[in-house]
Amino acid sequence: MSGDSRTGPASDGVRSSGDDPRPATYYHLAKAVLYREYLIFVRYPANAIGGIVISLFFFGLLFYGGQMVAGQALTDSIEGIIVGYFLWTLAVGAYSSISNDIGSEVQWGTLERHIMTPFGFAPVALLKGVAKVVRTFLTSALILAVMLAVTDTALQLPLVTITVVAALAICSVLGLGFAAGGIAVLYKRIGNWLNLLQFGFILLISAPAFELGWTRLLPLALGSSMLQRAMIEGTRLWQFPLVDLGALVVVAVGYLVLGYAVFELSTRRARRLGVLGDY
Amino acid sequence: MTMQEPPQPRTARQPAAESPSETDDPALVVDGLVKRFGSGETAVTAVDDVSFSVDRGSVVGLLGPNGAGKTTTIKSILGMVLPDSGSVRVQGVDIYEHPRQAYRHVDAMLEGARNDYWRLTVRENLRYFATISGVVPDSVADRHERLLDQLDLAEKADEPVRSLSRGMKQKVSLASVLATDASVVFLDEPTLGLDVESSLTLRRELRRIVAERDLTVLLSSHDMDVIEDVCDRVIIMNDGRVIADDSVEQLLRQPEASRFRVTSPDIDAALRREITERFDVVEAAVTDDTTRIDVDTDSAGFYDLVALLRADGVTLESVRTPDPDLEDVFLGLTNGGGEKSDERRERTR
Repeated sequence: MSGDSRTGPASDGVRSSGDDPRPATYYHLAKAVLYREYLIFVRYPANAIGGIVISLFFFGLLFYGGQMVAGQALTDSIEGIIVGYFLWTLAVGAYSSISNDIGSEVQWGTLERHIMTPFGFAPVALLKGVAKVVRTFLTSALILAVMLAVTDTALQLPLVTITVVAALAICSVLGLGFAAGGIAVLYKRIGNWLNLLQFGFILLISAPAFELGWTRLLPLALGSSMLQRAMIEGTRLWQFPLVDLGALVVVAVGYLVLGYAVFELSTRRARRLGVLGDY
Repeated sequence: MTMQEPPQPRTARQPAAESPSETDDPALVVDGLVKRFGSGETAVTAVDDVSFSVDRGSVVGLLGPNGAGKTTTIKSILGMVLPDSGSVRVQGVDIYEHPRQAYRHVDAMLEGARNDYWRLTVRENLRYFATISGVVPDSVADRHERLLDQLDLAEKADEPVRSLSRGMKQKVSLASVLATDASVVFLDEPTLGLDVESSLTLRRELRRIVAERDLTVLLSSHDMDVIEDVCDRVIIMNDGRVIADDSVEQLLRQPEASRFRVTSPDIDAALRREITERFDVVEAAVTDDTTRIDVDTDSAGFYDLVALLRADGVTLESVRTPDPDLEDVFLGLTNGGGEKSDERRERTR
């Protein structure tokens, strides 16, 4: 967003440069949506910090509790656990922020204004999703750093590969978030039930996508396996088979489109029932 | 990188018209709007064949008792509730067929103080919603400053909305709607919950802003003072139907508003009873030395009343027609859709 543009009231009858409406482009839209997310993030950090603390607390339980129970077996597989947990925090952050955000927009009465935009709701929603993912990447990166420090573990960090693979894996989760948000708009106050889905992410992340071919079609599964290879074995993006990369893209786009379609259908049904703005 | 532009909002450089139909049409045309909720015996017709049009630059009030269908009508017009049948054209554009093109002309305050971000500052809200509506916020920065001044928000411009009073939040909601470049604005209960002073300020500034920017406004309110004060024309709804659609002046001349007030020291209890039996007595007040009776009747009935009083040897202190207000008209048309407010009753006495 541009800086402070206050130029003072224009004199009567004379249009100043500050009162000469110019059409906004998608660039302006992106700036506005991302800047709003940034403002909320820096102005109200308690939520983000709370999320990080809770994530680390559960990781601590998993790591130290697991060591007591499984001993060396857990230590041997700690790299996989860290990568899986990193992806899980990313997925949970993206999923809950997009589904909860839609519910909040309904409560605030702002969802309708976003639907009534000449840009169309889809680009606005997509940009909001991107903003959530960027935010979640930052917090999850911090969690990853603490996990590595606590467990004294070293991982490969090929940034481009991690960013691309994780982002595509998270795209499918965004789709699930849109679907959940749409269902919440229609049925109201079922957010707690939909939040249970995030525990299902653990199964998806641990699915053996390379060994069990059909699981590649599930959200997160292939992305998780590829991320394990990238961060543990140091595989670079261009070293993955094309078919895996293609499958990753198709699954990401497919679930995103499917999730958005569910959101569209749900909000259309909500408009038909006259409950769009109800909460 | 080339950025694609959305359908263009109306700007000073780029007039609203992109096609002849957009130039010639009224700002808003609603035709045969019907919306039912539920099915079978429990079905409720919230909007029942509602049709009207609104000329550019006019302010139209939507009035009706609770459950009359005002909010559903507005939400149906905007596509936030999908109607069962009917069509809506905004600046000549069918809002259901081409919503994105139609939305560039439109903004709405639907939920009172519930349509902006309370965690952002007032100014940030204006800039954000201007962008969402399709306008570069810097290009309307001066407009935003004027709005902040006009709505007494300048001092609070950099404070988060959540820290403001309810009245201020309501003003921010209105400001964020007017901060866009919409030419047709929908305001659903814009003064709900405001104190008298805030309501007066908001009405005064709304009138001024509407005139300055040649806005078309459809405003729903329970507050008849707001409607009477701000609107050129009033549409009265009851049970989902439009039961009156006229200018405020014309509505005040409705036959339902033909009220006569007679005051005399000679009207005793028996005569009061007889008058009550024969005429539609709206109000009767007896003091120590005089009796005042308000009767709703036509001119023939009025002559009958005078004849009755004369036959009883009553000396009339005064006979006059109290000026009806919009609330009298509204109550007459909706068969009492709510009792006349105490404040109003006091004022008419």
